[in-house]
Amino acid sequence: MLNRYRAAIITAIGLVVMGTAGVYLRLKYVQKQEGSQGNNVWRLTYNIGFPVIKEGKIYIALPDNTAQCRIVRESFSHKGIWMDVLRSKRTLGREAVIVPIVGYKQGRFIADFDISLKQDEKLQVPPAKVKLTPEEMAYYLREEEAVQINSPDLFNIISQLKEGKITRSKILERIFDFCSENVVRGGGNAPADALGTLRQGMGTALGRARAMVALCRAERIPARLTTGFFLKIHSDVRPHYWVEVFYKNNWLPYDPENGYAGKLPVAFLPVRRDGIDIVRTPARDAFQAIYSIRHLLPAPTFVFLPDNRFWSVFDLTRLPLNMQEIIALLLLLPLGALITAIFRNVIGIRTFGTFTPALIALCFVQADWRTGALVFFVVLTVGILARLLLNQLKLLMVARLGIILTLVVLCMILAISILDYMNLTPSASAVLLPTVILTMMIERFNITAEEDGLSQAFIVFAGTLGVAICCLLVLGLEGLGRLVLMFPEIQLFNVAALLLIGRYSGYRLTELWRFRDIAHS
Amino acid sequence: MNIMPTGLWVWPWSLRKNGVLGINERNLSYLFELNSRSLYRFADDKILTKEICKKKGIPVPQTYAVINRFGDLRNLERIIGERREFVIKPANGTGGRGVLVIVGRNGSLFEMAKGQMMSLSDLKYHISTTLSGLYSLGERSDSVIVERRIVPHPLFEKLAVAGTPDIRILLFRGSPVIAMLRLPTLASKGRANLHQGAAAAGIDLKTAQTLGGVCRNRAITVHPDTGAAIGGITIPAWDRMLETAKKLSEAMKMGYIGVDIVLDAHHGPVVLEVNARPGLSVQIANRSGLLPRLKIANAQSFPENSHKTAFQ
Repeated sequence: MLNRYRAAIITAIGLVVMGTAGVYLRLKYVQKQEGSQGNNVWRLTYNIGFPVIKEGKIYIALPDNTAQCRIVRESFSHKGIWMDVLRSKRTLGREAVIVPIVGYKQGRFIADFDISLKQDEKLQVPPAKVKLTPEEMAYYLREEEAVQINSPDLFNIISQLKEGKITRSKILERIFDFCSENVVRGGGNAPADALGTLRQGMGTALGRARAMVALCRAERIPARLTTGFFLKIHSDVRPHYWVEVFYKNNWLPYDPENGYAGKLPVAFLPVRRDGIDIVRTPARDAFQAIYSIRHLLPAPTFVFLPDNRFWSVFDLTRLPLNMQEIIALLLLLPLGALITAIFRNVIGIRTFGTFTPALIALCFVQADWRTGALVFFVVLTVGILARLLLNQLKLLMVARLGIILTLVVLCMILAISILDYMNLTPSASAVLLPTVILTMMIERFNITAEEDGLSQAFIVFAGTLGVAICCLLVLGLEGLGRLVLMFPEIQLFNVAALLLIGRYSGYRLTELWRFRDIAHS
Repeated sequence: MNIMPTGLWVWPWSLRKNGVLGINERNLSYLFELNSRSLYRFADDKILTKEICKKKGIPVPQTYAVINRFGDLRNLERIIGERREFVIKPANGTGGRGVLVIVGRNGSLFEMAKGQMMSLSDLKYHISTTLSGLYSLGERSDSVIVERRIVPHPLFEKLAVAGTPDIRILLFRGSPVIAMLRLPTLASKGRANLHQGAAAAGIDLKTAQTLGGVCRNRAITVHPDTGAAIGGITIPAWDRMLETAKKLSEAMKMGYIGVDIVLDAHHGPVVLEVNARPGLSVQIANRSGLLPRLKIANAQSFPENSHKTAFQ
């Protein structure tokens, strides 16, 4: 009917106008925010392998939320170990406590941390004020193996620095200046302990930090070493050491290596306080730790949304990162529906099920291709074999489908477990949905094969696969997930396009082939 | 097979010029407009179609039994009795799916049209999968009809391969607009559905003569399996068929339907089923697009609106 067609077009135009307005407003709004609060998200990855020793607990220091950085997502995977996350009583730092499982020779601990930095502040704000008990005070003034405080050489330096009548803050300043300027940076053979560094006037980064701790402690200023990471792109990521000095009820950071006093850039992420080892293990040096730092794609608006105005409900990028991933997938599904609609109604390709291609594509958008190929191969092989065998038993449909699904799930899990054993852990979330969808597709394939012949079944299967691949190519476009998340109003354009396809009465592309003999006769 | 040596495709305006109706236009302009959703079940459910036919005195194959529940399967042996020929079909099946035609019997073994033998438990399994909805649209639970087997008219002997030919008449607003003789082939496994590989010959509505035909969307002139010419056959009892189709179309209250009629050797035209979404290959069988025919039929049913298109 003509006026229905017109109504569909008018609705579509209305939706496009609304969508455009939404995008315009959002761009305006987002630009306003961008200046004040961009975001800066980094991914820090630990990959630590170690031999499994009986009754040897391992402690791995983990990053934690601070005033400037927030861990928006973290994931752990480990093999051959039991793991628990605890907090240290003294420094309140987070630690993964690892108990090896006897029977494994090698253990592995892999952790990802997505860390969002507050970018509008260049330097860290001072941490909250704390009070130290006399016991704690004594602890942070103690002598350590590599932080020697009872040595004539040390006292000499102190007395030089204390020349004249000066305040404690001036002494602290001089100690820092001495360690960052008078003590120079040495190569690999330079001393790494406090005394050696002070004696030679040269030390490694750790040696210089230790020298500063020793000088502070000798002057009765509580101090401790801090180990952490500097979040920037570098090829060889190693822990970085700096000093925290307890002054006026604050732990103030000092970095003699880079010359920061009292305030550090926000990109310094403390991981272990009062220690230099990210990994503490009874068998020292028997582990291999690889750290890596990656800059994640930037987004215009991010977690630190200052205002809680109602309008922010339309800002999906304010949601936690792991939720954003799922929401982005959900928002991609309608686009998959649009692609399927184009293929079915405009091109005229037959598929099993209406949304099967879009769902298959979506399953593989976030999985790596290995997992995708594995799922595809296992489900199809097991499903077709199981179906062939079950045909002999003549079971009712739901029961038969249930058995096939069970077998597919079991084989799937076995395959995952085998892959994990070979240290190729696949993403489990990528396995869940396609298993069910593909199992249903096998059933439809079999029915079509039985009823319309194998060739027809393969044609429809190829159609389904082809449309799924096209969906995957489009939905997998770099940044598309991000885009639909930032601009949910894109869905209005999608509905407008679906409205037009829904009232498209022209020939399908395949009909130009199908009906060719009428026109030729 | 004598496929015409033609190009792989044609331009859309060429199809338009020939008045070809495409699927999208069929759905939007005809099915959605003329066939009310609520009436579909009378066409989809063969039990309901049969009831309508009986009410209107339209001949249908005699129903031996309707099986609605798994519990009824116990009675299958009693239902079949001593019968040597019968048909088991899902009430909600489409495209000939799930139809078993039993043509002979050897004690407790039943011979199917293709020569394959089935035991009573095979039949029971088939019926139970049908009941659980394997062949119904949308996989709802289904019923099974056990009915008399049609004895094909001898006229079609040369053209019928492993199945019974039937006649599809497409009606628009109650008037027949196009028709075809559907011929099972080996590829279609004896079924008369074109998308399963059956062949079809167009029928001249006025003379009842078959024309050239179609198989797998290609124009043909002879049966793909037997090589017998499919044109030039006069369909017997043609006027009765047209009358039957019109009567049924009126009773179904749908404006765009296909009526499938078989010619029984003893009983003459018998309605097998009604299709509320009739396919479009009939246009290839007749070498003629549907659009001009629909326009004429529309002008006849609404003479005062003849200058307008279909249903404004």
